[in-house]
Amino acid sequence: MKHQLNIAVKQQSVAIERFLRVVRHRGFQLLDLALEGQDELFQVKMTVDSDKPIYLLTSQLSKLVEVKQVELQPMQQQAIG
Amino acid sequence: MTGAELLIDLLAKHGVKEVFGYPGGAIMPIYDALYGAPVKHYLTRHEQGAGFAAVGYARSTGKLGVCFATSGPGATNLITSLADAMMDSVPVLAITGQVPTAAIGSDAFQEVDVLGMSLSCTKHSYMVERAEDLAEVLQEAMHLALSGRPGPVLVDIPKDIQLAQVPFHPWLALEEEAPQLDMNEVVKAEQLLAQAKKPVAYVGGGVHNANAQAELMQFLNKTQMPAVSTLKALGSVLPDYEYDLGMLGMHGGQAANLAVQECDVLVCIGARFDDRVTGNLAKFASKAKVIHLDIDPAEVGKRKPAAASMIGDLKATIPHLACFVTDAQWLAHTSSMKKEHAWRYDYPGEKVFAPYLLNELSKRMPNTGVVCCDVGQHQMWVAQHMKFTSPHNHLSSGGAGTMGFGLPAAIGAQIARPDDMVITVSGDGSIMMNIQELATIRRNNLPVKILILDNQRLGMVRQWQQLFFEGRYSETNLSDNPDFVQLAAVFGIPGQTITHASEVDAAVDALVASEGPYILHACIDDKENVWPLVPPGAANDEMMTENA
Repeated sequence: MKHQLNIAVKQQSVAIERFLRVVRHRGFQLLDLALEGQDELFQVKMTVDSDKPIYLLTSQLSKLVEVKQVELQPMQQQAIG
Repeated sequence: MTGAELLIDLLAKHGVKEVFGYPGGAIMPIYDALYGAPVKHYLTRHEQGAGFAAVGYARSTGKLGVCFATSGPGATNLITSLADAMMDSVPVLAITGQVPTAAIGSDAFQEVDVLGMSLSCTKHSYMVERAEDLAEVLQEAMHLALSGRPGPVLVDIPKDIQLAQVPFHPWLALEEEAPQLDMNEVVKAEQLLAQAKKPVAYVGGGVHNANAQAELMQFLNKTQMPAVSTLKALGSVLPDYEYDLGMLGMHGGQAANLAVQECDVLVCIGARFDDRVTGNLAKFASKAKVIHLDIDPAEVGKRKPAAASMIGDLKATIPHLACFVTDAQWLAHTSSMKKEHAWRYDYPGEKVFAPYLLNELSKRMPNTGVVCCDVGQHQMWVAQHMKFTSPHNHLSSGGAGTMGFGLPAAIGAQIARPDDMVITVSGDGSIMMNIQELATIRRNNLPVKILILDNQRLGMVRQWQQLFFEGRYSETNLSDNPDFVQLAAVFGIPGQTITHASEVDAAVDALVASEGPYILHACIDDKENVWPLVPPGAANDEMMTENA
């Protein structure tokens, strides 16, 4: 199932590497990623796909020190494709 | 003050008295700052030994374990011990030297991207990019390693930052608000317990990390709930607790596994439904509703759904559950299973029977003694046949299952607790993985005792080859091992070899009575297996036993 997440993460390249590693390792396929630097944070928009429940990812991402916020967005029909 | 001096100063200010490590080019300024410093450095003979000594130090005390390594291969050698600490939630601070900032990315001598390598095996990690950040990074790292669910934190420090003049600003750890316990979940848990006819407490390593043994025992004594433990929890439930059923899982006791399979409410206290615990997950405690207590919300529902979840420090959450008394019929049933499936030590053969030896050792060791295991058959026999009164006293590589853990972990534990007896129980496979640390024992004249259960095999792998790979014994024969007593003697460590059952009692006495380091090399039957065993893919009530 596809999910769209908005994540606020510290504006450091290692922070991006760290959370992308978690996405892969926990069994979620990355479909789309956009990030924008803003006030010392990266605002990340990400779409992932997996047969696993999404809370298995959001609960792991929320634990990362550099991740300040994780929000699950309702998927738009056209974005699901 | 240089960056290197600041590091040593901060460690001292945070009460770190001992560190473990191995010097090299990119960490030389830190070793220079150590010279004559109040923080005592213990030189191991391999960085992995330093990492595991830090793990042993931390696990035997609950304090921060600290290890140092240089860049490149020094740091890569530390990685296994950090992965181990990550899996078992151990508070460790790893400091690695890095090539100078200007050389990073140039494939410089002994340059490895340590920060990149650390991502999957640390709770958090840093590479210090500016000298002015060093003080804050170090203080935050120490705080993170110990706070919440503990874990390893790595700080990679380029050599130029070690040499730079750095400012020191005390960093005040933000008072973290403990997660607010959701009282609705407490009510749900109470309702589940009120209806429970067959409850079981499933105790995990979180009790150790939360230092919540007293709260756990208060809960158990009040509720009289039968309790089962994970490998890491052993020692949390006191051995004289009447309804203790021991370890569950792949090599758990039959009473423990059967009780969990029959239970209707499973109170999971700081455990994570590891696959070695659950066997076939779909069939694990399939009649039970789960009440899950943990500090880490990510563990709740990760492997098994919870009907009620109490997130927070176990010291604070366990006392909420004490308003309950276990049904007498269920207690009689579990006690009867415990009696029926009690361990037996009346081995008929003339060879050394490892379970008997370990049980005798357990009886003769002081309650304050520490046992550090390696990984394999001997590790499971220790878990089955030795008793512990504190989880600080049983150090076993649980999640990672790292061979080579035992000897360096014992060194760390002995340095942390110089007045307590520390014994490493190893196998003839595992002991060779960090055998070089005999030199660390000798260098520091540590009274670490070593018991090797030698079946001239990689016993656990051989057991699986026998049972599940049609007896095709691929690369598990170690009959060309060195003479371990002679090997220890080279490092100035006395000892003896035994081969017969009749020698066991006197040999265990000699091991326990030795004032300094000692090695007891016990040759056991190479065909001895660990029983019971839950085969791969099976449910925990489908255990294989010796006579089945």
